[in-house]
Amino acid sequence: MLRHPRLVSTAEIALFLLPFAAFWILFRLGPVLYGFYISLFRWDLLGEVTFIGLGNYATLARDPRFWNALRNTLGFAALAIPLIVGIGLLLALFVFGVRHSRAGRWLEAGFFFPYLLTVSVVGLIWRWMMDPDFGVLLIVLRSLGLGAPPFLNEPRWVIPALALTTAWWLAGYRMVLFRAALEDIPDELYEAARLDGASGARIFLSIVLPLLRPAVLFALVLTTISGFIVFGQVLIMTAGGPGRASEVLALYLYRYGFEFLQMGQAAAVGVVLFVIILGLTLLSFRWLGYESHL
Amino acid sequence: MGWTGDGEQGATMTRRAFLHGAAALTAAAAVGSVRLPPALAQPRVMTLDYYTLFHSGDAAAMERIVRAFNAAHQTVRLNLLQGQWAEYYAQLFAAVGAGNAPHIGICHTSRILDVWRALTPLDESRAGNLLDAAGIRGRDYTKTVWDAGVHQGRRYLVPLDSHMWGLWYNKDIFRRAGLDPDRPPETREEFERACEAIRTRANTLAFHPAEDALPRKIRRAWEILFWGQGGSLLTPDGRRAAFNEERGLRALDYLAGMIRRGWNQPGTDGFKQFAAGQLGMLLAGNWYLPTAKDSNVNFGFHYVPRFFDRPTTWGDSHNLVIPRQRPERTSNEMLVAAIRAIKWINEHSDIWGVYGGHIPAFVPAQRAKDLLESDSWKLALSKFTDMANRGYVHYPLIHERAPQVHSAIEPYVQEAYNGRLAPRDALARAEAEVNRVLSS
Repeated sequence: MLRHPRLVSTAEIALFLLPFAAFWILFRLGPVLYGFYISLFRWDLLGEVTFIGLGNYATLARDPRFWNALRNTLGFAALAIPLIVGIGLLLALFVFGVRHSRAGRWLEAGFFFPYLLTVSVVGLIWRWMMDPDFGVLLIVLRSLGLGAPPFLNEPRWVIPALALTTAWWLAGYRMVLFRAALEDIPDELYEAARLDGASGARIFLSIVLPLLRPAVLFALVLTTISGFIVFGQVLIMTAGGPGRASEVLALYLYRYGFEFLQMGQAAAVGVVLFVIILGLTLLSFRWLGYESHL
Repeated sequence: MGWTGDGEQGATMTRRAFLHGAAALTAAAAVGSVRLPPALAQPRVMTLDYYTLFHSGDAAAMERIVRAFNAAHQTVRLNLLQGQWAEYYAQLFAAVGAGNAPHIGICHTSRILDVWRALTPLDESRAGNLLDAAGIRGRDYTKTVWDAGVHQGRRYLVPLDSHMWGLWYNKDIFRRAGLDPDRPPETREEFERACEAIRTRANTLAFHPAEDALPRKIRRAWEILFWGQGGSLLTPDGRRAAFNEERGLRALDYLAGMIRRGWNQPGTDGFKQFAAGQLGMLLAGNWYLPTAKDSNVNFGFHYVPRFFDRPTTWGDSHNLVIPRQRPERTSNEMLVAAIRAIKWINEHSDIWGVYGGHIPAFVPAQRAKDLLESDSWKLALSKFTDMANRGYVHYPLIHERAPQVHSAIEPYVQEAYNGRLAPRDALARAEAEVNRVLSS
């Protein structure tokens, strides 16, 4: 029997953590470490496993296709992350403003709805919407006299089109995050600001935005991860095309792993993605003044 | 998986019968040793996992065959799992590596060089010659398809079908264009005349060369034109690209010319255009048959026209295989049951033809009355079979790195088709990348 209070406390903590920690280690940490481990080998799932050190990383460094995929991923992330977080924030402000009306609740549910769809459904819907012959989006744009390029078959447009699709899909969840954070801001602060004669913009910049920082950080980290591991919508909507204009890193990884069966090289791409996402997450903490939380 | 006791007799037993039986057993156990009455003895049921990469209409047709198999067998049951086309081979490799492979699987003929390591050699298995055990004989199968199922002197594949691309055309659009709907084009000149007539007189899209225009489909369309001139993707030793030459260029230029001549637009989906009644002619596989039938388009089907020196089409075959099994999971008895199930599936592959639109490789199934009298046969399969028998079918590249070679070619062929890259540049870039892949 454990008698020492600190010892008891440590054991209790460990016991409470155990159910989560066991699964987290087994299904999260374990695969990550194993991924790094197999990135050091040449392995095609069935044949011999050969240790090649950093050979897979050297192959990536020499592969123009990898650099193209990295460029596409960065381009996508640079567009999609601000779009998702920005639209999510705007939607949250809007539904917060109309929160007391019945229509407001319906609108909030409607904005959130796309997030409930699976990526394959989202991809198929938007592929249809952007079909050069039958796409509603193109038909509407043309009827308005606007130019409507075949978005998914045009190298200049394909990444923005994918980013827009992803924003439609994911912004609703960010809206819910920001909406919850808005609820936490005390009404007294708004009242005091108004008494001091602050404008709407001033209230937003000096009160709302600073107090939303924790939610912004969470949304940014979450969206950074989504932005860099984008895969399903690309596979379904463009398969990486036209040419390789939308082949992103996750698709490159998938092809090397599951089509070419080069698991080591695919794992190396996974490690590169991990390092990029970790780096950007740490930067987000720093940028929003949370480095002391690290 | 393996032996279970939930046989069909057990499943159909009434609750009353079960209670009576249970009471009798309890009473018997109470007084001494029990001998199961014959009426209550359940047959041992062997469950075999059967994984395929089929989806849509193909999957429904295979389900039909498996349902018939399970209804016809008391002691063997097939557990069917389907629908992972893209990841199928990776999953198969992973399952074999983990010692948990399905007992029956599917393999394309064109993948034999990179998949054979995951398969059981059927004529030299640990249970002996499984082909002999099941009575599977090469003479019962289409010869070319049967012959392609051997690697290093060992047979790994039992052919299920042949599938290929052909020319689907809209008879109403043909009439509007002043063309004879009973005489679809067979030569390049006839084909070009038809395209121009459809474009100018019927005022609609004339032709789509590549199904839904995915990069791999556009590559296949180019291959049809290239192979039709006797071209080959790689050098005979398989170590260098061989397509960046006059024939490859002529093929790609002709393909890109289809867009330049206004027969279609880049990036469009031929499946949808044809089903919407807006497309005159479409090159597509036999799997398009169920969609064409459902579309209400008054369609016809014909051979791929002779674009260059010889009429050629892209084609491949699905084969039934036994993935590599561990003895502790799969007994010799189960291997024999698996090969017998494979034979049964082939013997009933006329269903595969009628509902899946594929040409059975099993010759007696090709002659089955149900198939020959079916709509599928009359609408398209008879022509597909003709194409196979006339030697139109060209298999895709059979090479250990075929998926990577294809992936290296596809973006450049697509860009040339889209008109964003000159065919000569596209081939040069594709050649450089293929050589890089082959030398790495």
